[in-house]
Amino acid sequence: MTDDKGRIQLRGIHKSFGDFEALKDVNLDIAAREFFALLGPSGSGKSTTLRVIAGLETPDSGTMTVDGIDITHAPPGERDVAMVFQNYALYPHMTLGENIGFPLKMGGVPKRDIPGLVRDAAKRLKIDQLLHRRPGQLSGGQQQRCALARAIVRKPRLFLLDEPLSNLDAQLRLDTRVELKNLHRSLDVTTIYVTHDQEEAMTIADRMAIFMDGEIVQVGTPQEVFDRPNTVKVAAFIGSPPMNLLPATLDGHRVTVTGSGYSFELPKAPDRTSGSVTIGIRPSHIHLAETGLSTQLFLTENLGETMLLNLRFGEKMIKLRLPDVRHFDDTEALHLAFDLDHVHLFNSQSGRRID
Amino acid sequence: MATARHRSSALRRNILLFATAILVLVVWAFPIIWAVIVSLKSEKEVLAYPPRVIFEPTFQNYLDAIFGGLSIAPSLVTSLIIATATTVLTIIIAVPAAYTFARLDLRGKKWLGFYTLATQMVPPVGLVIPYFLILNKIGWLDSYQGMITVYLTFSLPFAIWLMVSYMEDIPREMEEAALLDRANRFETLWYVILPQVRGGIAVTVIFIFLNAWNEFLFAVQLGGNTVRPVTVAMYNFISVEQTLWAKLSAAALVAMLPTIIIGIVAQKWIVKGLTVGAIKGGGRL
Repeated sequence: MTDDKGRIQLRGIHKSFGDFEALKDVNLDIAAREFFALLGPSGSGKSTTLRVIAGLETPDSGTMTVDGIDITHAPPGERDVAMVFQNYALYPHMTLGENIGFPLKMGGVPKRDIPGLVRDAAKRLKIDQLLHRRPGQLSGGQQQRCALARAIVRKPRLFLLDEPLSNLDAQLRLDTRVELKNLHRSLDVTTIYVTHDQEEAMTIADRMAIFMDGEIVQVGTPQEVFDRPNTVKVAAFIGSPPMNLLPATLDGHRVTVTGSGYSFELPKAPDRTSGSVTIGIRPSHIHLAETGLSTQLFLTENLGETMLLNLRFGEKMIKLRLPDVRHFDDTEALHLAFDLDHVHLFNSQSGRRID
Repeated sequence: MATARHRSSALRRNILLFATAILVLVVWAFPIIWAVIVSLKSEKEVLAYPPRVIFEPTFQNYLDAIFGGLSIAPSLVTSLIIATATTVLTIIIAVPAAYTFARLDLRGKKWLGFYTLATQMVPPVGLVIPYFLILNKIGWLDSYQGMITVYLTFSLPFAIWLMVSYMEDIPREMEEAALLDRANRFETLWYVILPQVRGGIAVTVIFIFLNAWNEFLFAVQLGGNTVRPVTVAMYNFISVEQTLWAKLSAAALVAMLPTIIIGIVAQKWIVKGLTVGAIKGGGRL
């Protein structure tokens, strides 16, 4: 295998379904052997992008290359791409073994080689005991493994996963997440993973692209996206719970939260020096103080090791994560102070980040 | 006390259900039972009044119907050829057509249902004369190709319409998975779609075969001495002078056999639950 097998490039991809513009100028570079997540809310274009990559949708305009070769119009079967569908799409009339062997059979692999390859793939996913069963006789988790085995059996250069965990229950999802990551490591194949679950993307991906309304709004490693969201929308999407967003006014270094007497000096002067802005602050970057933003306790959520406070500030709800669990009285008045190194500023009109 | 009352009401309900079932069964089976009885009587016995419950059964009518002067045997072969050819051709054409209708975005797709119903709305008698004239013009009267073509005009829209609903039940991902697995469209149809619509094909086969087998109106007008299906041949037992009820019944029962066999064979394929669980949360059939 050469070093850059499975390098993907999307340039200016547009795709409309009737009046609905699903993709508006999508540009993306995915490195060889990268575990790349396409993240976004439903209808944001992430699945369409994956289908364009798979060849199941033809873009209205734009190009797609793999390892420098234009395959924009190549049919799915010629792309050397394997995909795991959200609903697994196992062939119900075939046994597990036949399901896994199907891509080999269609790919012209000699008949005598198929059982061995099927067994290897099944073993890897620990379903080699089930090869004679039909999909209908399996649990959701086993079906999912079968779909994965069918995808890896022919060693594709590109591995596509469309929300593969969304049909599993919570515990199995966590386990499978780790296994997927491990599988990717051992296969060493470019993997593109579609999900609407930001936590999933954060934990599993090397890099990710965030989709909003048919556009990519940010590309980066999970840490980059988490630490420096490009826009208000990304800020509101990433993190669990996501960032608190509050209107404020900026005057040089000084920020005043609208509707309160609370103001603070930023440690570093931003590009823009005055006007109305949106400030973002993560729940773990707020602490309780003697003075500061005055709020009223609404609800506490005990998470075992930490605690989430839901605080009322005017019409808004502010979430604060405490590193420990303590007792509060109902509707207690609390004062908040922000960790100033972690305050994000966004243009209140465009929603873009201000550095 | 309460249990006893509960038990007796359950018993009463069971008796009622059982009685209803028997009644329905008798009403449904009566003509066939009657035909069986008549076919075992002599022609004289059939017309005896009052009808006798105890009589000496005879199989002579069956021998006459098959080997006698008015034998239906050649017509059975004719019917078999016509019904089989109609069914096979219908399936060969309807399956890919239904797949196309179900999957590809074609204009006029939404009219299929209406068109199918429309062909069923026209009284067949209204079509006999046009068909007669057309077949006469091209010299296809009293020919296999003529009869089969005419039957296809009825069976095809119906079969396509029926199969489309089965095809539409198969999730698109199934084909997309097959396409990604390097199958071409034909292989996708053959390996992935067809095995999943076996039930639908079986139902279609039964319908089309039965319709072609039992068809009388077109057969009697468009057939002749060369092509005389069994429905028409049976009619020979009815003449101005007399009606040979016993032989007619025997012939009808013999003619029923192939349809019963087809029904039993096809029923095996109408397997329920085959696809349940293949797609998470979407069991079918």
